[in-house]
Amino acid sequence: MRRILAATAALCLTAGGSSSLAYLKLGAIVNGRVVDATWHQQPIGFFISTRDGSGATAAELRGAVERAAATWSSAEPASVRLQFQGMTNALAEGADGLNTIGFLARPDLDRVLALTSVMVDSATGAIYEADIVINTSFAFSVAPGGQPGRVDLESVALHELGHFLGLGHSAIGETEITGGGTRRVTGHGAVMFPIALSAGTIAERVLQADDIAGVSDLYPTGAVAFETGGIVGRITKNGQGVRGAHVIAFNPETGVLIGGFSQGAAGDFVIARLPPGAYILRAEPLDDADPSNYFPHPVDTDFRVTYAPRMVAAPKGGASPPIEIRVLPR
Amino acid sequence: MSFLRQGGRLRHCVLAAVLWWAWPAIAVAQQAPALRPGHFTLGAAVVRAGTYDIGDATAQLTGNAPGVSPPPFTLFQARSRLTAATLPEFTLGFAFTRRLALEAGASLSSPRVAVAISGDQEAPAQELPGEQLGQYQFEAALTWQVPMRIHRRIAPFAIVGGGYLRQLHEGRTVVETGEVYFAGAGARYWLRGASGRSLAFGIRGDARLNVRRRGIDFENLTRSYPSLSLGVFLGL
Repeated sequence: MRRILAATAALCLTAGGSSSLAYLKLGAIVNGRVVDATWHQQPIGFFISTRDGSGATAAELRGAVERAAATWSSAEPASVRLQFQGMTNALAEGADGLNTIGFLARPDLDRVLALTSVMVDSATGAIYEADIVINTSFAFSVAPGGQPGRVDLESVALHELGHFLGLGHSAIGETEITGGGTRRVTGHGAVMFPIALSAGTIAERVLQADDIAGVSDLYPTGAVAFETGGIVGRITKNGQGVRGAHVIAFNPETGVLIGGFSQGAAGDFVIARLPPGAYILRAEPLDDADPSNYFPHPVDTDFRVTYAPRMVAAPKGGASPPIEIRVLPR
Repeated sequence: MSFLRQGGRLRHCVLAAVLWWAWPAIAVAQQAPALRPGHFTLGAAVVRAGTYDIGDATAQLTGNAPGVSPPPFTLFQARSRLTAATLPEFTLGFAFTRRLALEAGASLSSPRVAVAISGDQEAPAQELPGEQLGQYQFEAALTWQVPMRIHRRIAPFAIVGGGYLRQLHEGRTVVETGEVYFAGAGARYWLRGASGRSLAFGIRGDARLNVRRRGIDFENLTRSYPSLSLGVFLGL
């Protein structure tokens, strides 16, 4: 009998409203081991709900989603095929056997732009159904150049399709606390950052290196394993592992920024699918968004931003020798 | 007798001092030292290679502003350089003529990639200890002894050449390669065999300007740096 694991991930206008169970990749426990939650068959079909939203019709939603799907499908060196299968009267929620994307009123989620539900077969780790709700509490836009005061629908679709494919949230981003006590993004380096840019922006229509590394890790082409490398290491504080530290790898030659997290009590981290080369590593606490956007358990955020003492090379087809980054309490 | 002998020594010393200070003028009439045509030369030297920048880079995030290309947000800036290094170098030369020789050399060094971090709003500016490279250089050069007779044991020369550079990152998992071209000048001082007719032995030093292409460089620019070399040679 197939057991079901449901996970949800959301794109927030501001932090604080999402109920998510996600990190870089969605996972499922299969036979006691955590495996990536991925679609095991392609193309991955989806339907668009016929309901119109605020500022955008269902047809416009279809256009935005198809553009976003094409963006994910063209991400190299990943191998993803998303396919529109038709319009449906079904709602974008519940286990009905359809992968549905549609507008739905969710006034209870007053800070959540959109929400993706992913259903995973816990016997295999395969995603067998996913739905995306676009919250009609917000005004959306499909204007090619964006529209002041309205959230770009294609950007939201691109983020949610990342969850639809099995990606969790990225932590490559910086935020500031506004006068109202909410967070405002000052900059981000991944479409999968959990907090959206301000209404009117369209910069999130483009996948960044961290997004591409993530999707390549989930859906690698045959050559990916030989063409990319990894960095492994450990974050420690006073000799103990740090759980939930965010580690950014920056390649000064290409400008690429790709992130990873220390997981487990030992503080071990792995950053995979890196283009080969030398990287500067920067460890930071998860304090630019609600940590629950990444982990279902508490994380250690009581440490200062710390750089690895040396650059670390990610070799083609392999992993670096382990490096330890020792952080200090704030 | 004793006084005379002492006086004689004194005169020799004075004469030697005069000759020493006046050697450039007198040397014109002397035979300049020379290489031994058709013979090989072995050399070993200590080289001090200077530091040079290998690139500035800025870690940027997409800024939060309307439009297709909002101004980026700077996460931090990194300025990298290869530190100075002292390295052993071994050469094998072949003298075509009394002035012209071809040399092949190899050297091994361990410079560091030092990285200075700045512009991080959450961390102070700092210089990271850096990564220790394994750096190999294999080179070939022509030396040409300048026809300038300044001393019976000393001969200046010009050197020009190029080589293959191989840089291994720490852990030896990633290799980067490049080329080095150089030109400079130096001098050989023969301790024996300056005539070019017998086994020779001496001291050699040179100063070079090196130009490096490719290799570890975060801006993929051509870089230049000085180097000084001091060693011994054995003319077979």
